Amino acid sequence: MIDLIQTLGSGILVGLVYALLGLCIVIIFKASEAFNFAIGEFLILGSFLFYVLFFNESLPWHRALPLGVLIFLFFSYVLFFDIDLNFLIAVPLGIAAGLLIFCFLFFGLKLPSLITSPLIRFMIALPLGLLAAGIVGSMVERLTIKPLLGRSPISMTIVSLGLGFFLRGCIQLIWGSHSYSFFLDLPDITIEIGDLLYLSDPIWAGILSLLTFGLVIVFLFRTRWGLAIRATSEDQSKAMAFGINARFILMIVWAISALCIAVAGIMISNFGALQVGMSYVGLRAIPVVLIGGMDSIGGALVGGIIVGICEALAGSYIEPMGLVGFKEVAPYLLLLIVLFIRPYGLFGTVRIERV
Amino acid sequence: MLAIENLRVVYHDVISVLNGISLEVKEGEILIIIGANGAGKTTLLRSVAGMIDFYDGDIIEGDIKMEGSSIKGLDAADIMKRYGLTYVMEDRPVFWYLTIEENLGAASFSRWDKHVKTDMEEVYEYFAVLRSLRNKRAGYASGGEQQMLAIGMALMTKPKILLLDEPSLGLAPLITEELFSIIKKLNESGITIVLVEQNANAALNIGIRGYVIETGRIVLDGKAGELLENEDVREFYLGSGEKERKSYMDAKRYKRRKRWL
Ligand SMILES: Nc1ncnc2c1ncn2[C@@H]1O[C@H](COP(=O)(O)OP(=O)(O)OP(=O)(O)O)[C@@H](O)[C@H]1O
Ligand SMILES: [Mg+2]
Repeated sequence: MIDLIQTLGSGILVGLVYALLGLCIVIIFKASEAFNFAIGEFLILGSFLFYVLFFNESLPWHRALPLGVLIFLFFSYVLFFDIDLNFLIAVPLGIAAGLLIFCFLFFGLKLPSLITSPLIRFMIALPLGLLAAGIVGSMVERLTIKPLLGRSPISMTIVSLGLGFFLRGCIQLIWGSHSYSFFLDLPDITIEIGDLLYLSDPIWAGILSLLTFGLVIVFLFRTRWGLAIRATSEDQSKAMAFGINARFILMIVWAISALCIAVAGIMISNFGALQVGMSYVGLRAIPVVLIGGMDSIGGALVGGIIVGICEALAGSYIEPMGLVGFKEVAPYLLLLIVLFIRPYGLFGTVRIERV
Repeated sequence: MLAIENLRVVYHDVISVLNGISLEVKEGEILIIIGANGAGKTTLLRSVAGMIDFYDGDIIEGDIKMEGSSIKGLDAADIMKRYGLTYVMEDRPVFWYLTIEENLGAASFSRWDKHVKTDMEEVYEYFAVLRSLRNKRAGYASGGEQQMLAIGMALMTKPKILLLDEPSLGLAPLITEELFSIIKKLNESGITIVLVEQNANAALNIGIRGYVIETGRIVLDGKAGELLENEDVREFYLGSGEKERKSYMDAKRYKRRKRWL
């Protein structure tokens, strides 16, 4: 019995991280009906961006400079075309952003030597890393997805597939493919009651993922930007006709999605080490969203927890029977069963139909 | 106020839909545009509202001017913000999965300020039914309620000029009448209105001037009263010509004749 509770508990904690991954897929799917297959690459990219800030990893100039220039071009572009700033304001701002990023990458943030407490360091590096991930997300949207606005969602999906390979290549070029040890050293909150033992890292992962999930929901359902996102998600042309800049909203959605993926990525890296090959973890989002329903935010939460529990159960009850690796397959088996019973997933939208 | 000069629009680079339309909207009037299905009325409004590229259409010739300056090529959101031009698409453009109140909120996104709540109250004054439905999803509202909501949403954008695309589509005659009287009221409160309609009779009755469009060209224009009396308009759009019903061949000849006007 203790064993079961132990297993379920760890399943739920990991499941919350998966739920966050699912959420990232769902919000993009709702906004543009495309599936973002580059999720795994966003996951490692976000983790690396955080890594650079947290562990003071600096890059040689020939890697930092192109990134700085890219940021400069992107910022000037968005400020000039999307936010409609004057050319003479937009370009200097863009240069400033590019320089800032270059300095960060080239000299490192020097956080570790400045701040010794890992928790405070984490609290500073996390928002910065997430911001960076969000910017990369919007940049990617601008360059690859925006030109496809109004086209078939299938083309966006295919583009995201190609994008995944491209991003992975970039990451490999910049950071190589060896693994980086990743140890956040957050305060120890290990729970130990009798025979039950929950380690600190998974608990942190669960809490932070749930928190992020909650914040995204508050953003979507309690702010006017969230309202605009939900409106645009339902119909881009209607949103445009009522003065919502659908293109800009789509960029925001990608930014939020990339940001949440980064949170999940950091948590997952914290379980072990960080390396390019880890991107396959992102694909866990597939059973999550298919079980929960592609367009349901609540479904992502439930789907994530189901996948987490399923994995944990398979890991501690079926694998010992000699089926090594079954843990990885179990969610997909479950997925097949769910899809047999409910083709739209457990919480797929019931379309409004007036009779 | 709004001037369209020799506008030519094609879809997908090959399908020519507007073939040189010129028209003018004067400040404070209700302008009626009538025309058969597929004449290009919706395309015209899309072009003016800056939404034509979303449908993979292009303005290949001509210009659209708002108060003297060209708005060709501007974003829909820009046109709305700078010139107060709001386009209510055909077929009740409301967000089905948002509540009525959220719909009104979403429409005020471009000008969010302290007055949104009072403006919402104002919309509820115009459309009393909406108030009681405010927390219901718009998808479950009736067709008439949805159309009222769509116009209410347009009001939330604080328009100076309102383009309405077939607001009476699929509504019962009584509701249509109510809707048109509200449109008239809006006009009296200072909003210029361009009304595209199939329901030519009702529209021309509240309108001041009117244009008739056929295959992407203006074939007739004049005072609304004159159009109502016009033999051809009565024949083809009001379905009540004095003469016997003409055969289809005659109808075609009519179109050909008018094309060279
Ligand atoms: N996105 C599009 N791509 C290609 N052709 C289009 C597109 N939208 C409209 N058309 C074509 O353009 C022509 C004019 O269409 P439009 O919708 O402007 O007509 P309308 O006058 O509004 O008709 P209705 O009264 O039926 O609404 C039609 O022949 C239509 O098939
Ligand atoms: Mg039309």
